[in-house]
Amino acid sequence: MRERAGYLRYIGYLFPAGTVALLAIAPYLLVHRPSWITILTLANFFAVFAMSWDILSGYTGQISFGHSFFIGAAGYTSALLNVYLHWPIWITIPLGTAAAVIMGLLVAVPALRLRGPYFSLVTLILPVVALKLVLILSKFTGGELGKSGLTPLSSVTSFFAHQRALYFDSLGLMVLVAIFLTLIARSKVGKIFEAIRESEEAVEAAGINTAKYKILAFIISSFVAGLGGAIYVHYWESLIPSTILPLTLSVGLIIAAVVGGMGTIIGPIVGSYFFIAGQEYVKEVARSSSSLKFLERWDVLIFLVILILLIFFARRGLLPSLYALLRRFLPTPTPKRSK
Amino acid sequence: MTGILELERLRKSFGGLVAVNGLSLSVAEGEILGFIGPNGAGKTTVFNLIMGSLRPDAGRITFQGKDITGWRTYRVVNAGIARVFQLSRYLKHKTVFENIEISTISNKIFAREDRRAREERVLEAGELVGLEEDLQKKPSALPHASLRRLEIAKAIATGPKLLLLDEPFAGLSAQEVEEVSVVIDKLRREGRTIVLVDHNMRGLMRLVDRVVVISFGEKLAEGLPEEVAHDPRVQEAYLAGGRDNDEAA
Repeated sequence: MRERAGYLRYIGYLFPAGTVALLAIAPYLLVHRPSWITILTLANFFAVFAMSWDILSGYTGQISFGHSFFIGAAGYTSALLNVYLHWPIWITIPLGTAAAVIMGLLVAVPALRLRGPYFSLVTLILPVVALKLVLILSKFTGGELGKSGLTPLSSVTSFFAHQRALYFDSLGLMVLVAIFLTLIARSKVGKIFEAIRESEEAVEAAGINTAKYKILAFIISSFVAGLGGAIYVHYWESLIPSTILPLTLSVGLIIAAVVGGMGTIIGPIVGSYFFIAGQEYVKEVARSSSSLKFLERWDVLIFLVILILLIFFARRGLLPSLYALLRRFLPTPTPKRSK
Repeated sequence: MTGILELERLRKSFGGLVAVNGLSLSVAEGEILGFIGPNGAGKTTVFNLIMGSLRPDAGRITFQGKDITGWRTYRVVNAGIARVFQLSRYLKHKTVFENIEISTISNKIFAREDRRAREERVLEAGELVGLEEDLQKKPSALPHASLRRLEIAKAIATGPKLLLLDEPFAGLSAQEVEEVSVVIDKLRREGRTIVLVDHNMRGLMRLVDRVVVISFGEKLAEGLPEEVAHDPRVQEAYLAGGRDNDEAA
C-alpha cells in the first residue's frame, strides 16, 4: 500500500549503504589527520545516544530532557563493577545495560501519569539528582574526578591501530543500533509509537493498550542508551561524570536528533555527525588562519546559530528536508491505485 | 431477554452535579437504538462510562454477559464495542489508509500479523463507508462528512459487535446528513448492533428501531420512535431544553 516515488525508495536504501561504506573507509582516508578519527568515533557514540532518544521522544512524543540519566546509569554500573570487582567487560556491559533498562522502567511507570512539560521536567531532574548522588557518594564513585583504569575496549597497544579499532567498534555499534531501531520503527510497534505521538485517545480507541507500548518505548530507548553508555566508559577507559551525565549531553543529543530529523532513526545519525564534526570543523577553520583566529572562542556560538537557522528553515530536520527537496525536483511516478 | 449490552443502575456525578442517575437500559442484539435527550442530558457521559473513559460511581455494565464496568478503553474495544467520536480524532500525518490500519493492529506485542488480512480489513472498512477513492489522502484533505465516515471506518475495522455512534450528524449539512445516513443504513443491513446518540430526534427517527430518551441523567421514556415522539414528557423535556429542541419531534 505504501507508495513512495521509486527514486526515493532507492535513495532511501542507497543513502545509508553509501554512508556506511564511506565511514568504513574513513580511517584510511584520514591517515594524515588522526584527530578526525577520534572525532568520528565520538560522533558514532553520540549517534547511538541520539537514536535512543529518537525511538522514545521522536516516535512516541514523550520528550525526554534527561537521557544522560540512562547513559550514566549504565556507564556507572559497568565501570564500578569493572573497577571494584574486576569483572570482565563482557559481563559488566550487559549488566550496565540492564541497569539502564531498570531505570527506564522506574521512570516509565510514573511517567505514564504525566503529560507534556510535567513529564519533561521529571526527566530533566533525573540526571541532576544522579550527579548529586555521584558527588555525595564520592568515596565510592570517585566524585567529580571519577575512576580510571577501566578495561579498554581494544587490547591493541599501537596508538594508531588502537584508535582505528575503537573507531570500528563504535561504527559497528552505531550500525547495529541503527538496523535494530529501524526494524522496530518499520514494524507495527513503530506504527503504534507514531500513532501514540499524534493521538493517544485514537490509539486506545483502536483497541491498543497505550500504557504498555509507552513502557515498551522506554525499555527499548533505555536499552540502547544503556548499551551505548556502558561501552562508552570503556572507550574512555575511565569513568568521568562530565562525559556521561551532564545535561549538556542530554540537550546535545536532542539537538542532534532534531537537526537530523526527529522520528526517522537515521536522521539523528546525520544530526550527530553535523553536531560533533561541525563543531570541530569550525574550530579547525579558526586555527587555520590568523585572521580567523577570533573564531576559536566563537566556535560553539557560531555552530548554535547555524543550528537555530537550520531549525528555522529545515524544521523537519536535515534528512526529511533533503527527501522533500528530492521529491520536488525528481519526477514522481503516478501512484498505483490502492486496490 | 438479556441484551448484548446491559446498563444497571449506572450513576456518575461530577462534584455536586449528578450527570447519570441510576440509569438502566438494555440493547438487544441486531437493533439500532436511538439514545436521545436534550443537551446536557448525560448521553456522552454514558458513552464515556461504557467505553471506560470514565469510571461509574455505582452500577454495572455488562457486555455479552461479561462485567466490563471500569475496564480501560482498549479492553472494551477488544471485547467488541467501538465508538465513533463526535469530533474526529485522526492522525494528521498519516493517510486515511494508515488511520484505519491502526484499528486492525493487534494489541499483543509479539503476535504474528497477517499483513494481507489486515490490508483486506482496511479496504473493506474503507469501501463500506465509501472512502475507497480517498485511502491515500491525508485526512485534512477530506470534507467534514468524509471525516465522519473515516471515524466510522476506524470503528468498523476493530471488528465490533456493537457500535456506539456519538452525534454522527452534528455539524453536517443536509446533503452530508443524507450521505452519513446511507452509511448507517448499510451497517444496519449488515445486521450490526448500533446505539446512536443525537439530540436531534428528527434525523434519527427513520434510522432507529427503538428509542430511549434521557433527561438529567435519568431515563424519561422508552419505546418505538413514533410513540416516544408523541410522549408529552419527552416534548416537555425538549421544550425546557431550549432552542436546540425546537428540532425535536
